[in-house]
Amino acid sequence: MNPFPENPAIMLLSEGAAFLSDTSTLVVADVHLGKSAAFRAKGLPVPEGDNARDLARLLGLAKKSAAEHLVIAGDLFHAPSGITPELETALADFISELGIPVTLVAGNHDVKIKQLPPQLRSVPYLELEGNCRVIHDPAHAGGSHLHLSGHWHPVVKIPDGKRTSLRLPCFLLRENTLVLPAFGSFTGGAIVVPVAGDRIFVALRENVVELPPELVF
Amino acid sequence: MPTSALQPFFDDRGWQPFDFQMQTWNAYLAGKSGLLHAPTGLGKTLAVYLGPLTEGLETKSGCQVLWLTPLRALAADTLRALREPLAELAPHLEAEARTGDTPAALRARLRKKLPHTLVTTPESLSLMLTHSDFAEKLGGLRCVIVDEWHELLGTKRGVQTELCLARLRAWFPGLRIWGLSATLGNLTEARQTLLGTAFKGSVEVSADMKKPIVIETLIPREIDRFPWSGHIGTKLASQVADEIEKANVTLLFTNTRSQTEIWFQELCAIRPRWKDRIAMHHGSLDRAGRDLAENGLRDGSLKCVVATSSLDLGVDFSPVDQVIQVGSPKGIARLLQRAGRSGHQPGSVSRILGVPTHALELVEFAAARDAALARNIESRTPLRKPLDVLVQHLVTCAIGTPFEPEAMRREIQSSHAFENLTDTEWDWSLGFISNGGSALAAYPRYHKARLDDGRYTVDDKRLIMQHRLSIGTISSDPAVSIRFSNGHTLGTVEESFISKIKPGSSLVFAGRRLTLVRFHQRTATVKPASRAAKGQIAIWGGSKMPLSTELAHAMARRMHGHGGPSPEMMAVAPILAIQKKWSRLPSDDSLLVEHASSREGEHLFFYPFSGRLVHEGLAALIAFRISRESGESIVTTQNDYGFSLTARRLVLDEEKLRFHLSSECLLDDLVACMNTAELARRQFREIARVSGLILQTPPGQKDRSMRELQSSASLLFEVLHRYDPENLLLLQSQREILEKQLELTRLSAVIRRIESIPMHLVETENLTPMAFPLWADRLSATLAPADAATRLEAMLHTLNQAALKL
Repeated sequence: MNPFPENPAIMLLSEGAAFLSDTSTLVVADVHLGKSAAFRAKGLPVPEGDNARDLARLLGLAKKSAAEHLVIAGDLFHAPSGITPELETALADFISELGIPVTLVAGNHDVKIKQLPPQLRSVPYLELEGNCRVIHDPAHAGGSHLHLSGHWHPVVKIPDGKRTSLRLPCFLLRENTLVLPAFGSFTGGAIVVPVAGDRIFVALRENVVELPPELVF
Repeated sequence: MPTSALQPFFDDRGWQPFDFQMQTWNAYLAGKSGLLHAPTGLGKTLAVYLGPLTEGLETKSGCQVLWLTPLRALAADTLRALREPLAELAPHLEAEARTGDTPAALRARLRKKLPHTLVTTPESLSLMLTHSDFAEKLGGLRCVIVDEWHELLGTKRGVQTELCLARLRAWFPGLRIWGLSATLGNLTEARQTLLGTAFKGSVEVSADMKKPIVIETLIPREIDRFPWSGHIGTKLASQVADEIEKANVTLLFTNTRSQTEIWFQELCAIRPRWKDRIAMHHGSLDRAGRDLAENGLRDGSLKCVVATSSLDLGVDFSPVDQVIQVGSPKGIARLLQRAGRSGHQPGSVSRILGVPTHALELVEFAAARDAALARNIESRTPLRKPLDVLVQHLVTCAIGTPFEPEAMRREIQSSHAFENLTDTEWDWSLGFISNGGSALAAYPRYHKARLDDGRYTVDDKRLIMQHRLSIGTISSDPAVSIRFSNGHTLGTVEESFISKIKPGSSLVFAGRRLTLVRFHQRTATVKPASRAAKGQIAIWGGSKMPLSTELAHAMARRMHGHGGPSPEMMAVAPILAIQKKWSRLPSDDSLLVEHASSREGEHLFFYPFSGRLVHEGLAALIAFRISRESGESIVTTQNDYGFSLTARRLVLDEEKLRFHLSSECLLDDLVACMNTAELARRQFREIARVSGLILQTPPGQKDRSMRELQSSASLLFEVLHRYDPENLLLLQSQREILEKQLELTRLSAVIRRIESIPMHLVETENLTPMAFPLWADRLSATLAPADAATRLEAMLHTLNQAALKL
């Protein structure tokens, strides 16, 4: 699905990522690796498993889309206490198997981590071809760029029936900022309170569809 | 018999001890535990308290008596009642209360030294168990008294109480435990649950003096204009106002918070001059608002208080001389409890006036009176093995004093709830609090309790603090507080309600008409509305309480002419006559099914008289089974008397219906049709909270480090499902949801009963008085929800179709 008539190179993927075909760049946001370990370190009994699963999903997606560059729009990691030796090994394996450059646009969670793995290039923001900029927090958008961001973990709530509603992770396009859904499995979501002009996209089976305004407002 | 010590106390008041009081004292002094069952206002406090008091008159140090109360709000009143004899008989001894409301200074003092008598709640008792010197501070504890045990029975708080008592029994082997309970259908089981292994040799004392209770019903003046369905009932408001006029102080009970708001508005409109003499009380109101109502009832300065179950319990409102129940009483015990709020002094009469909101509720009130007279009261089923409560308690104990697993297991199994704990469950629980449960490899670097020299202990200060903050079993949904811009808070509403109201629009809350100024981050700022504003009445979610089996049974008997003549039955006779003429009267010993056709298609109406939840389950079950066979899409509705199915085609004979109503594959089909996975996910919230999977953030505390540890219960549910499917908490949430959502035990019993009784399939030309409410209640129709993608596709499809028509 391409949300921008003026910028046909940007595609939204049903896996919750954006793909820029000009430069073969895959962008995802909010993976929150090591979250369950951070919970356990604080005495909360949460099982391990999502790191491996999320890295495998990401690897699969990169291969499938034949990406030449992977960009994380912030919050690859959850907390310092979640960075265990096992995670470091898994991440190193992931990057070497991936075989393409990985750029991390540091998010608010990442900046707490003292030492990021050396294979990662960490930048505060990233300019891409086509007047496009990747940032973490949509609040930092400015200028005429098209921004790709994360941070909000957007989720849309669609009432269907009297007491039931659907709650789906979504892409939110507000002004010239596209907010990506959180990629990590163990991440919650924040329900979007739509404002006039917002466009919302959700994954429907293998496609991404735009929600008609009747369902959003 | 301590008459010598007690005689002056009674003589001074010109009182004569009741038999049941003497019996209780004697049993206590003989070293026995037990359960005392007596209506409120009969001196049961003195009955259980004076025994331990006279026995310990000479003692000066340590805590002798622990008084557990289910409600924080009751603690102050209880303390007052206990201090009276204490001041007279033993002025040198002290009584104090320690609850969540206790000021920090007093709490600190109680940490140093405990008084002779301590009034507290199950949560505060658990909290005190985390202090390593608690056993020592208690000193020579002689007696624990559990007030309003019927309120705790059958809840997780009740199980928490059982576990705390097991701990105290292990510390003080001679400990006597006494419970106070209102009338229940299963008093022996209630005593067994309270006492666990101490049940043997215990006694049940019953105040056999029946407190006279009068149940009357407000009869609508024109029955043929009276609605066949509905639940608001303001049609009778002016008649109700007349009744309030006649009494001094009236307590008017409704079944829901919204109904409370509606009735408050209605009464204010009918009698504007009562404006300052009428108040309201419900659980979502701010403390100040509730205090206003409670104090007004206590000193008799109010004419009427409109309330929900928040005033069912305890507090002594002597001036109340009339209780009114608006809408279905739902259960006999509940009606008696509410009736008991009036005539609080020994010897006086409790009166309750029922106000029906639709015609069949007339039968309900008549039936409730029959059952109350026959003492045919509901039972409360004790909970078995809620593991979330167990793991919380184990951490509590480990923080207090390191425990040796085998001894602890014996202690836990001395409680009724866990007497049949299996090895698997026990090992899993120990694993959960230490290294993460059975799937050891799945929980790297997790630890809470440590095994140290054969004992489990928790010594991480941060974990200890975290645990103390989260003790308890009540999980409250995050609510939105309603306040004026000057900061004065009125209470709380649900986000789903307030988010539908636009700033500038008005709403009715706490009996006031308000205008919403803004809604931001869990706070809705309001200002008083202009007089003319109508406004939407605040609504709250939460399921409606089902009609009890006992009351439903009594109703069926009434409909068939059992019981003497009564004004209710005379009033409703014309409507029952129509039902009989067009169809039949439903009964207990056969199942009535009506078949009717309308423009919408065909309808089937079933009347098992088993309460709304069971009917919801049965309706979903049959709809699922029929549509599995025929592919028909079926809409269902239900109420307390029956349920309906509507579809384009529903041609069925008795044999077919019986086939669809069979108990075969019951559980599998229910799990399939009710989307239990989705429901269990919702139920998991409470379990995750109690078992310590989700942290409680104390109000007002904005600790940044806590933010990293926030997650939703449904997310945890998914993670556990994926990576630790054997986790016993997942099984528990499925079991709890089936019981809570569908009353599974009752549903199974109902379906077995239906299998054994004849069925009457009646063709009706018109919708009968019984069928009409089910037909009219189309709002509550629920379709079996499919997966998200299918539902979204359906919605998009509908929109497209609509767009094409334009």
